[in-house]
Amino acid sequence: MRLAHLLARQWAMRPGRALATVASVAVAVGAVVATWVAADASRSGYRRLTEAIEGAPSIEITSTEEGRFSIEELPSLGDIPGLRAIIPLFYRPTLLRVGEKRVREIAMGVDCKTLVGQGLLELTEGEPCLAPDEMVLDAGLASSLKLDVGDEVLLFARRGIKRMQVTGLAESASLATFSAGGGVVVEIAALSDMSSSLGLVDRVRVVLKPDASRSDVLAAISKRMPDTLSAAVPAGRASMAEDVLHAADLGLDFVTGLTVAMSWFIVVNAMLMNVTERRRGLALVRLLGGTARQLRQTVITEAAILGLFGAVVGAGLGLLAARPIAGGIAGALNAPLTEFTYDPVIVLVAMLMGPAVAIAAAWWPAREAGRVELLEGIAQAPPPPARGVSMRYLLGAISLWCLAGLILLAVLFELMPPRAAVPAGTITMLAFVGITPVVLPWVSSGLVRLVPSCWWIEARIAHEQIMRQPVRTALTTGVLVVAVSNGIGLGHAIQDNVDNVLGWYDGWMQADWLVVQAGALGAMPPQAGPDAAEIDEIAREIPGVAKVEAIGVATGRADGVACVVVARDLPAGESSLPLDVIDLDESSAREALERGEAFVGTALSQKTGIEPGDEISVEIYGRTTKVKVAALVVDFMSGGVAVHVSRETGRTQFGLNAIEVLLVTAEQGQAASLQAPLEELANEHGMLARSFAEMQSMIDRVVQGIVGSLKSILMLGFVVGSLGVANTVTMNVLEKTRTLGLLRSVGMTSGQVTRLVVIQSILLGAAGGAIGTFGGITTALFIQISSQPLLGYPVQMSLRPGLIALNMAAAMLVTAVAAWLPARRASRLDLLQAISAE
Amino acid sequence: MTVLAAEHISKTFGAEAAAAAGVQAVRDVAFTVEQGTFLAITGASGSGKSTVLHMLGGITRPTAGRVVLEGVDLAGLDDEQLALLRRRRIGFVFQRYNLLPELSLAENVALPLELDGKPRTACRSAALEALEQVGMSHRADHRPDSVSGGEQQRAAIARALVTKPAILLADEPTGALDSANSENVIALLSKLVLEDRQTVVLVTHDSTVADAATRVITMRDGQIASDETQAAATGVPSS
Repeated sequence: MRLAHLLARQWAMRPGRALATVASVAVAVGAVVATWVAADASRSGYRRLTEAIEGAPSIEITSTEEGRFSIEELPSLGDIPGLRAIIPLFYRPTLLRVGEKRVREIAMGVDCKTLVGQGLLELTEGEPCLAPDEMVLDAGLASSLKLDVGDEVLLFARRGIKRMQVTGLAESASLATFSAGGGVVVEIAALSDMSSSLGLVDRVRVVLKPDASRSDVLAAISKRMPDTLSAAVPAGRASMAEDVLHAADLGLDFVTGLTVAMSWFIVVNAMLMNVTERRRGLALVRLLGGTARQLRQTVITEAAILGLFGAVVGAGLGLLAARPIAGGIAGALNAPLTEFTYDPVIVLVAMLMGPAVAIAAAWWPAREAGRVELLEGIAQAPPPPARGVSMRYLLGAISLWCLAGLILLAVLFELMPPRAAVPAGTITMLAFVGITPVVLPWVSSGLVRLVPSCWWIEARIAHEQIMRQPVRTALTTGVLVVAVSNGIGLGHAIQDNVDNVLGWYDGWMQADWLVVQAGALGAMPPQAGPDAAEIDEIAREIPGVAKVEAIGVATGRADGVACVVVARDLPAGESSLPLDVIDLDESSAREALERGEAFVGTALSQKTGIEPGDEISVEIYGRTTKVKVAALVVDFMSGGVAVHVSRETGRTQFGLNAIEVLLVTAEQGQAASLQAPLEELANEHGMLARSFAEMQSMIDRVVQGIVGSLKSILMLGFVVGSLGVANTVTMNVLEKTRTLGLLRSVGMTSGQVTRLVVIQSILLGAAGGAIGTFGGITTALFIQISSQPLLGYPVQMSLRPGLIALNMAAAMLVTAVAAWLPARRASRLDLLQAISAE
Repeated sequence: MTVLAAEHISKTFGAEAAAAAGVQAVRDVAFTVEQGTFLAITGASGSGKSTVLHMLGGITRPTAGRVVLEGVDLAGLDDEQLALLRRRRIGFVFQRYNLLPELSLAENVALPLELDGKPRTACRSAALEALEQVGMSHRADHRPDSVSGGEQQRAAIARALVTKPAILLADEPTGALDSANSENVIALLSKLVLEDRQTVVLVTHDSTVADAATRVITMRDGQIASDETQAAATGVPSS
């Protein structure tokens, strides 16, 4: 490289400029690494959160006919990639006798020792059960029965009463993966033998590795199933279902995409400034016989070298920040980090990304360097840059919008997957930045009028300097446009979704107390389920109880898709139906439920294609019933894959007698007094009593955890944007050294120069904020629209002026603060040095 | 031997946008330059003399007519070929020296050779030789900002000479210098013409500088007003 030594000399002579360029790449790479790690931490936090509620991701194998099947029928599955464990399960309804107390429970037979060894069953105390007379109890159940390790219990089985010893207590959440509502764990061979069913299993739960694709594994397993067995994704009771997490995941993808876009703007702007500042020198080299190709090579080589330095620094900083960020997000999600490892792919990508982004970002400046006018090399002053933008440029920005719009439409009509909305969102952002030079003159001249008249001259010159290089200024503003769009767009999307979820909970759970089954949702045959049909009647007899609503829930299939069936009491005179019914009024909805019709969750409708007026085949407990769909409902039961019927219909049509949840409303002022009798009732039936406040705080914790994690990443984006802006403003001032020196030489005071630089930055901040607001609202719309195919219904978007004002203020504050130091530096310029600066 | 020929060249600025609104800076200028000529182009400010020089050096292209350097029509060359021609056959000297501040004087002088891919050591020795020629070898490793204006201009002349160009084009080379330094620079150029038969085309508005030339073209309103050969060049202008 013939001009390498020229580059080296330039860096040595202007280290500030080279450092600012390295810093811009470092900020960009660091941002991407940190965001990547933070997004990974969030995803893994979501996964742990889901696992805590639903159990580890798994696939369930059951008999296609009703009842149990021989384990011999199960083909070999061990070689399918992505499998963590294959767990045969045997369930047996039973009765426990502890002293004088009798408790109905479901005993589950598993290979306890292996499960403990694989980390799928966590014991809080004691040892796994091995012998036929040993058992492990759910720690919650044991506590309610006042049992401990070493105590003895009588278990009623088909072959009579058996004396069992409690060898260990299991963590309730870890039972979720394979529990069917039961809290008693017995060795599988012992339990099946007690039931005279040795060698038979109720189902086989296949637990997946965390990074495995459930759909791929399901497809692989299904291929091997004999006609007598079928594999399916089990439906869960948990409200935090996979589909809802997909929406949050999509949000993370958006944040990552926009951070990459923002990083690119930061780097391209730095590169462009780096080249613009040296145009005169480059023109001189051209004049002395340097070819355009040589200049392009010089700029690209410089970009690669500075990019590599930046990548090393940025990757280091990003990785340093990664652990606290991941820890913070895990804390916000209340899902502590068990281990944290640096993904070598991230480091590798970061190291490649620095030079690659720098080279890509340098392409345009390099092209400009190659086209530099020869006369610039000998001109007294650089020629004024072209004002305004060309029609071709404008058409380019409009084409980007159209392209993004087309992708979004394709997502909406499910011609493309929802993830395609992420590049579409990034393209839109590019279009917004692209349109910035067009609208910037109006925005800036409008804003200049708001500056106090005593600073008129500073404001006027600041505005003129912005106007001198509209495209370059647009790139500086672009960083802010993306940061503000990010903040406003994702802020709106997050808040809208949270309001939506919390609003649904508020409507769905109107009660003072909840009595719920312990453990995960079961799919037990009706004859094996806990006989709790009378529990609501008992609850109604408790003094101080005003109203009791019983909800029965069971897993099943609707038109072949795994779902939950919810059968709920609808007490007469209820002011509002606890369901968010779409396009059906309250009384018609009530009448439809009373007629035995069903409401179907939007996501289930999306998956099955079922519409109001259709009939849907619902299979639970091995029995299939057809029911008419009266309307669709927005719900968060298993992410909207639910069929809702009246409790009467549940009992008569589906045989759903068991009660999963009791909603108990107290008489005025009696809520606290219900605690003791409800806890006693719950203990007797193997259930848990929770106050509404406790439940609400649990839901709030989960929701706020997810919100907190997304906000952390948003904040990270804003910090990166701020660093980018600070860097850009610093370079901007460096570039204007000569102009500022000239202004000082004609009598501008140092205070005026400081104000000029700060006002200019605030103008950029305000312009970026204003344009970013439109970008943010568009981003929010993108997220809402692209989430629709996942959720099955449009999330209502509300405009939040507070959020917009906060982002605008932050943008202006960041630019003002970022400008302060360069402004001070500019005000202290040595005049002779400044006016002779090249 | 004719080194350079300007064949009825004209230059209109802004003509691309609207012909009627274009400003015609140079109109139908024609002359030839023989080897070893010291040609001064003079004229008032705005007379078109610098534009002519830029066209001769391939910095801008004429809107009409053609420039032929050593038999090569510059109009037939693309930008890259023009760059190579400037690098190898034309030396430039400008009013404000235009040395790269990051490089030492020797490195500045060596730059055209470096651009041409010559070996580093060969570039260095050629640069030192050129600096020696202008009496600046003792300042070879100084940066431009640490030497005087006159010395910078001498280094700029060395840079123009380092490739042994067919022609040296100088645009107001004494414009930023005091009278003593001006005399030194003009004496240097005259010496190059007299001793090395270097062809020099110089643009100046200073008649005392023009007096040192062997031929003087005076321009007015973009056209040649007079073209006179001076019988005897003193080599040093009388000030």
